[in-house]
Amino acid sequence: MIGTYTAIHAYQLGLGSFRHPDRGFIFFLCALLLIILGAIDLARTFIGKHKKEKDKEEYPIWRDLQWQKVLMVLLSLIVYTFFLNLAGFLLSNFLLMVFLFRVVEPTKWRIAIVSSLITVLLSYAIFQVWLKVPFPTGFLRF
Amino acid sequence: MEIFHALFLGFSEIFRIKALFYCFVGVFIGTLIGVLPGIGPIGTMSLLLPITYKAPPLLAIVLLAGIYYGAMYGGSTTSILVNIPGEAASVVTCLDGYQMARKGRAGPALGIAAFGSFIAGTIGLVGLMLIAPPLASIALRFGPPEYFSLMCVGLIILIYLASGSVIRALMMAAFGIILGCIGVDPETGFTRFVFGIPDLMDGIGMAPFVMGLFGISEVFLNIEQSLKGRSIFTTKVKGLFPNWQDWKDSIMPISRGSILGFLLGILPGGGAVISSFVSYAVEKKISRHPEKFGTGTIEGVAAPESANNSATAGAFIPLLTLGIPPNVVMALLLGVFIIHGVVPGPRLISDNPNIFWGLVASMYVGNIMLLILNLPLIGLWVQLLRVPYKILFPLILLFCIIGAYSINNSTFDIAVMLVFGVTGYLMRKYKYEGAPMVLAFVLGPMFENSLRQSLLLSDGSFSIFFTRPIAAGGMITTILLLIGSIIPSIRRRKEMIPMEEKN
Repeated sequence: MIGTYTAIHAYQLGLGSFRHPDRGFIFFLCALLLIILGAIDLARTFIGKHKKEKDKEEYPIWRDLQWQKVLMVLLSLIVYTFFLNLAGFLLSNFLLMVFLFRVVEPTKWRIAIVSSLITVLLSYAIFQVWLKVPFPTGFLRF
Repeated sequence: MEIFHALFLGFSEIFRIKALFYCFVGVFIGTLIGVLPGIGPIGTMSLLLPITYKAPPLLAIVLLAGIYYGAMYGGSTTSILVNIPGEAASVVTCLDGYQMARKGRAGPALGIAAFGSFIAGTIGLVGLMLIAPPLASIALRFGPPEYFSLMCVGLIILIYLASGSVIRALMMAAFGIILGCIGVDPETGFTRFVFGIPDLMDGIGMAPFVMGLFGISEVFLNIEQSLKGRSIFTTKVKGLFPNWQDWKDSIMPISRGSILGFLLGILPGGGAVISSFVSYAVEKKISRHPEKFGTGTIEGVAAPESANNSATAGAFIPLLTLGIPPNVVMALLLGVFIIHGVVPGPRLISDNPNIFWGLVASMYVGNIMLLILNLPLIGLWVQLLRVPYKILFPLILLFCIIGAYSINNSTFDIAVMLVFGVTGYLMRKYKYEGAPMVLAFVLGPMFENSLRQSLLLSDGSFSIFFTRPIAAGGMITTILLLIGSIIPSIRRRKEMIPMEEKN
């Protein structure tokens, strides 16, 4: 799908000729390669489906793993990205850290809050105060 | 004599408080992440990339290079004491190192790993010093077709050595080139695949891309499984200095490992991981007692640990003399060079001798620092193994976020990092390799330029890649390797090498 989309878009950009390749030339070549190889890979997947199912039983990709934790962490990071500018560095990072310290293995609230506070203040001191990285201040204004 | 003058210039650059500080921080962090399983040198280097943007070019390179070879030292500690390799190049050290520790010989195992690494690192540096300048002068005669064919060789070797499907590795390389070429076309000035997003005008940032692909995805993979159940040697590690017999048994494996590692490090697509495996296999093959390998023999620790260290020095040669990174770590360093306006390649040694010789000198100094850090402070590193991952991973994520944000002070880079974090996570699950993609991503713009320039030179004829000797040699190697990787009988000969890091 990526290959097909890239190929169409690259064609619209202009391929030029071998004598004078245009800006879509390399994209088109790579997209073509992606389409061909993707088709071969897909065909191999279907041909070897039976064997793969057997393999899956032996080496489960998702089973016995806590992928839900990954999903939770990812969602928290997406929410964080949206609210960083609004809430500012200190508040958004503090909330994120509390969540992360508690999400993988249950940690006592007190420990999670204290650890988050120390982490955020230290990183603020190092990056904002020392290295002068201009983090967003948000509605807290600092 | 000239080489000593140049080396003196390098030492005068590095014996400054700031340079020594950067070197120390680099090797310290390298040892730290080498010791800690769950984060490797590529992930760490990508996390630290944004910080190095504000430092002078030499110091930035010194810091990142220190992380790379420091990780090779530190990686052996966890392999020997916990049977968990701190990074991929130490996987093979587990075989005999851990067995030695179980027999109460953890001290000599750690000692020979550190001394072997030091000797090999030094041999590798001498090789780098002697080979790089003449190679650079030859490379001055290279044109776009030569560069194009060499990049093809680099990519195809990485694909050939891929532990999974060659087709998928090729797909990843093609995808990497597409991603690497996004942004303004250098020839026409028009944008490509930016979708109206101003942040994409300069292309996808290398730092958020690599941080996501290696750093974030690694965290995701670690948190979905429990890291409980490690058994760490709690008894005090003593007797770090190997005895006379240990030295006698190890000196030849160290020498062979150093030379082999250095040569494999130079090869595009080669590097520390392959070097350690190959040197272990060679030692086992030529040993009078191959049956002892895997039961705690010191040669099984000395050879791979030496090989992975000298390979790090060897890997700098193609980057510094040709401007072509042979592996992902060097691709990251290439990015740092370019960001700082320094072009690695044939002219680096003549145009920026302070950077080249400063880097070489920093590696000498760094090797000595590492020896001091790794032997007397071994107790400290063992203690670090007890830091639970539930404490570690939020800190890694916070560091990623700060790093990504601080590049352009924009949340867009955090979003890019997350997108490639998920991409990297799924790629690893479904056995799509990240290394060819990153190398292709970094090489993408160079690859495109040299292809277009070559075709312009030849008036549209692809024969230009076969009529010039060096270009022809590269293209023939590429084709042979491609055929070799497709023919299953040849592929079957390959050993199952964990190629997660390709370095």
